[in-house]
Amino acid sequence: MVTALPGDQPPVVMRHKDRYFVHVRQGGLFWVATTTADSSPFTIIEFLNRLSALVKDYCGVLNETNITENFALIYELLDEVLDYGYIQTTSSDILKNFIQTEAVSSKQFNLFDLSNVGLFGADTQQSKVAPSTAATRPIQGSREGGKSEIFVDVIERMSVVIGSNGVLMKADVEGEIRVKCYMPNCSEIRIGLNEEFSIGKSQLRGYGAAVRVDECSFHQAVRLDEFDNHRILRLSPSQGELTVMQYLLSDELPSAPPFRLFPTIERDKGGRLIVYLKLRCDLPPNSLFISPCVFNIVVSLSQELSSPDQRAELRPESRAVVWNIPRFAGGTQLSALFKLDIPDLSSASLLEVGPVSLSFELPKLTATGLQIRFLRLSPIQPSQSQRWVRYVTHSDSYTIRV
Amino acid sequence: MTDSKYFTTTKKGEIFELKAELNSDKKEKKKEAVKKVIASMTVGKDVSALFPDVVNCMQTDNLELKKLVYLYLMNYAKSQPDMAIMAVNTFVKDCEDPNPLIRALAVRTMGCIRVDKITEYLCEPLRKCLKDEDPYVRKTAAVCVAKLHDINAQLVEDQGFLDTLKDLISDSNPMVVANAVAALSEIAESHPNSNLLDLNPQTINKLLTALNECTEWGQIFILDCLANYTPRDDRESQSICERVTPRLSHANSAVVLSAVKVLMKFMEMLPKDLDYYGTLLKKLAPPLVTLLSAEPELQYVALRNINLIVQRRPEILKHEMKVFFVKYNDPIYVKLEKLDIMIRLASQANIAQVLAELKEYATEVDVDFVRKAVRAIGRCAIKVEQSAERCVSTLLDLIQTKVNYVVQEAIVVIKDIFRKYPNKYESVIATLCENLDSLDEPEARAAMIWIVGEYAERIDNADELLESFLEGFHDESTQVQLQLLTAIVKLFLKKPTETQELVQQVLSLATQDSDNPDLRDRGYIYWRLLSTDPVAAKEVVLAEKPLISEETDLIEPTLLEELICHIGTLASVYHKPPSAFVEGSRGVQHKRLPATANSPDASSAAAVADAPPAVIPSQGDLLGDLLNLDLTPTTTGPTPAVSTGIQMGAMDLLGGGLDSLTMIDSVWVQVWVPAMKAKGLEISGTFARRAGVIQMEMTLSNKAMSVMTDFAIQFNRNSFGLAPAGPLQVLIPLSPNQSIEVTLPLNTVGPVMKMDPLSNLQVAVKNNIDVFYFSCQYPISILFVEDGKMERQVFLATWKDIPNENESQFQIKDCHLNAASSKLQGSNIFTIAKRTVDGQDMLYQSMKLSNGIWVLAELRVQAGNPNYTVTCLLWVQNT
Repeated sequence: MVTALPGDQPPVVMRHKDRYFVHVRQGGLFWVATTTADSSPFTIIEFLNRLSALVKDYCGVLNETNITENFALIYELLDEVLDYGYIQTTSSDILKNFIQTEAVSSKQFNLFDLSNVGLFGADTQQSKVAPSTAATRPIQGSREGGKSEIFVDVIERMSVVIGSNGVLMKADVEGEIRVKCYMPNCSEIRIGLNEEFSIGKSQLRGYGAAVRVDECSFHQAVRLDEFDNHRILRLSPSQGELTVMQYLLSDELPSAPPFRLFPTIERDKGGRLIVYLKLRCDLPPNSLFISPCVFNIVVSLSQELSSPDQRAELRPESRAVVWNIPRFAGGTQLSALFKLDIPDLSSASLLEVGPVSLSFELPKLTATGLQIRFLRLSPIQPSQSQRWVRYVTHSDSYTIRV
Repeated sequence: MTDSKYFTTTKKGEIFELKAELNSDKKEKKKEAVKKVIASMTVGKDVSALFPDVVNCMQTDNLELKKLVYLYLMNYAKSQPDMAIMAVNTFVKDCEDPNPLIRALAVRTMGCIRVDKITEYLCEPLRKCLKDEDPYVRKTAAVCVAKLHDINAQLVEDQGFLDTLKDLISDSNPMVVANAVAALSEIAESHPNSNLLDLNPQTINKLLTALNECTEWGQIFILDCLANYTPRDDRESQSICERVTPRLSHANSAVVLSAVKVLMKFMEMLPKDLDYYGTLLKKLAPPLVTLLSAEPELQYVALRNINLIVQRRPEILKHEMKVFFVKYNDPIYVKLEKLDIMIRLASQANIAQVLAELKEYATEVDVDFVRKAVRAIGRCAIKVEQSAERCVSTLLDLIQTKVNYVVQEAIVVIKDIFRKYPNKYESVIATLCENLDSLDEPEARAAMIWIVGEYAERIDNADELLESFLEGFHDESTQVQLQLLTAIVKLFLKKPTETQELVQQVLSLATQDSDNPDLRDRGYIYWRLLSTDPVAAKEVVLAEKPLISEETDLIEPTLLEELICHIGTLASVYHKPPSAFVEGSRGVQHKRLPATANSPDASSAAAVADAPPAVIPSQGDLLGDLLNLDLTPTTTGPTPAVSTGIQMGAMDLLGGGLDSLTMIDSVWVQVWVPAMKAKGLEISGTFARRAGVIQMEMTLSNKAMSVMTDFAIQFNRNSFGLAPAGPLQVLIPLSPNQSIEVTLPLNTVGPVMKMDPLSNLQVAVKNNIDVFYFSCQYPISILFVEDGKMERQVFLATWKDIPNENESQFQIKDCHLNAASSKLQGSNIFTIAKRTVDGQDMLYQSMKLSNGIWVLAELRVQAGNPNYTVTCLLWVQNT
């Protein structure tokens, strides 16, 4: 039994005697693989992620009870997925042919139970879009009818660094298109992207403002024969979740960054640190609400907060002031004034204040401007089938230096 | 009812109850019972007592139940080998089942049961399954061969399974190909010399075709296998690269990394001036950048690999500096790795950007990260000279914050900056001295003391400062004590009048009151130096220090090469060769990069050799020279570079090479590598020319505790193109305390590079433990060839034709002609003529070097005078 591991080992891989442990955390569970050879941690981590996705596809929800309830199914899955340490396949389509055990589900699906949504990959931030029970449904359940549904999610993560002089120093967007399909008799999906979508710096298409990315990679099930000319992705959907396309835009945003900060930091006569922050949202007015925003002002001073003017709290352990803003309308402006009592405040201490980090979620918006032009299913699906196309942009690391 | 109930039963009569249920007539009940058994097994309860009952359930047409029973068998068969035999019949029967799923299941399970009796029965079914019509069965059988090999390698060979497995590489189904490749690679690893994976252009072609069709995991097996292949020439290398590059845009990072490994390895073969080489470099950057948008765990692993790639080929990512800027929400281990790579990529072009970032990082919250950022600023200053001034002023700004650990780190790096750029930034010393009191870490205290001692003449109160440290001398760490001792001695030598008392105090503290031998010894040395010869002491203690070199933490080149071959594996995360952390025979093989492209990169090699002398010749520099070494014995043809070698060699021969003429004695055995420096291997030897063959006569002694095998030798390029004419003949393993004498014949057709001194030879010797490097000098006489006797007329004509600048004259002292002449003869120095002028004997001699240079010499001997004068002329034959 491994009870404790020395602290000087790199994360990700842990060693105990001659055995190496690689783990990931998914759905609140640790997925651990062990190896004694010089194997590839990339393979192992990718595999553990796929495995957890597979178990989720088969069992519906990832949690401890569900795992114990379905242990026979998971044994069977593992047996097919791994043979003597060689990964055979992680495609739920292929595995369907081999798996005999039916998933056991303890919970009745409840439309109002949103605790396991996680559609956008963010556990902490709940989506305002009504989720469907299908999202947490075992894929095999759909064999016996049920609602046929398809979800296409465009998820983007922004990382932005704005310098203290207001200059945009770095702006990257990572994005992906995820498809979750619960349509047993759908043989092909065609997803049309903006026609002016272009890859790389040189290529420009169409007349309007180009939607541009630098790098683009596709799932191997995607057929790209119509992509070059018409920007259409064709794929035969497998039951379950699939990341169809991943893309990356670096060092350039098609529009101004969504938030600007105007800070003033000074020392008053009483030796207090006065931090005045004015935050502006440059998104189109009246179009958006930004749901919960957390502003981390990393103030490297561990002192008492004398009079907080806003809904804010001081976190001494991380030496930060956190300012929570539940909603923030586009085109508006908010401000906050913080006074911090700090003994021995010197002018040099001012150097240590900052930076300000923002975390936010922008629904119905993509930073790159990527849109799904259409979603066609063939053969034509019965009318009660539901299609969901959703966009969201998260902050990955949005930092404003002061 | 759900399956979780199986985990909850804890009653005492449980086994008994299960037994009854297992023997039930109802299928459903049986299945439930087996599930309960497996559940108990999973949580670690011993349910082996139920073995016969569970095996009884094996004969069923319910696949789900069968799978569960097999699961149980895999777990308990080994502990119950006698009972396991009961299952054999069903296994064999199942291997013939019309359902391919059952056939595959049976053969897969049998392979996992490590019981001899079962293994015997496995052969026949396995043979059939390897030729099964269903690819699912074939791919399972392919893996089964690897399993069987692990249990009983001999059996697999005897049964001819390896050949069948090889045939599967040409299978029509890509999944079968992938599994066959994986199985063969694993088997081949345990037999390094078996040549099992006989990779040739045809099989490579098949693999590349299968690569496009198989699953992502199969692609990894195939790419890893490709990485072990060495292409015949650069064209083949390029065509493989072209077919592998599309993998770089795969969504699975493991596929990407395996592809990167193949490309990094095969790139070695491509000439750098090739257009394709540039294209490939450009293509490698985006996938590496993309890896940095994965989850932190993958990012960390990716960064460790990028660190290696950047050290080997910095040009790939030189424009991608920005992606390594840290994000505020990166975990600390990702941040630290990113910092490391930022420094490696720092150059004059991007230094402003990097510094601006580092300055931001230095005010963050996390202490470890801030420390490393401050250190990074110092490293920037040392690496990019143009930025040094800005770095220093940034560091000074940081010192102003008075944050304790920032100040300490800053002082440590400023010390290094002083050592790199002496007499440039000493104006900051005053600022540093202000912070003396806040230093509480040994490293920072030691650095500060060093600075005070080194620049004592510019610090007015240096004696007071050092005295303040002296008060708590015995509480300081050794590092600080040593530094303080040296600093006070320096101070004394600079300002002897005021500090006599101080130096006596420290010397007595170090020598009398300390029980640390290092400190005591250093104290005594200073004491005696100062008391016997203060001038000498000054020369020793205040000697000019060599500058520190730029990159201090680079991975040693041979290790780096090996690690590049292991990109994407644990070795690349630990930055250690697999043999260092993987037990057993696997992975002990040292992988090497293929030799460089056949157009030798002469300019860069010369640049390495002519490295600025100001830099400390650390071990790394020597290794740099040997970087191009390939440790397999090569039999290269004559290189065209020889003619250029002659021109450059000519004058130097006169300069110093002939000094070694006086050392003709062939008995000149030297210890080249002491055992301490080569993990127990001692190499001593000498050079000789015997019957027209140059020989390196070596004695290898094993002074370690373990047996040494697999010796090989390789020379770096050298002035006369000396190269081994054959492999190093150490046929038997060298036991501990055993010595062996080896004679290695040499030829002179190897690559040529001017060395300094001319007769310097850098050698790499490899054995099963490691690779060791040493350099030695050979007597120039071994290069004199047998047909060096020139015709008298030619000699005369040539003597006149040789221009004056090719002439050199020197004296040989204390020599006796009689003794000398026989030696000269034996060394292929031929006397052409002799005459006597004015009581002086004039001897005219000729010799010819292996690279075609003639040396004509005139030896003037005055009777009774043991000092001879030699006039040498060099002549390069134009042929």
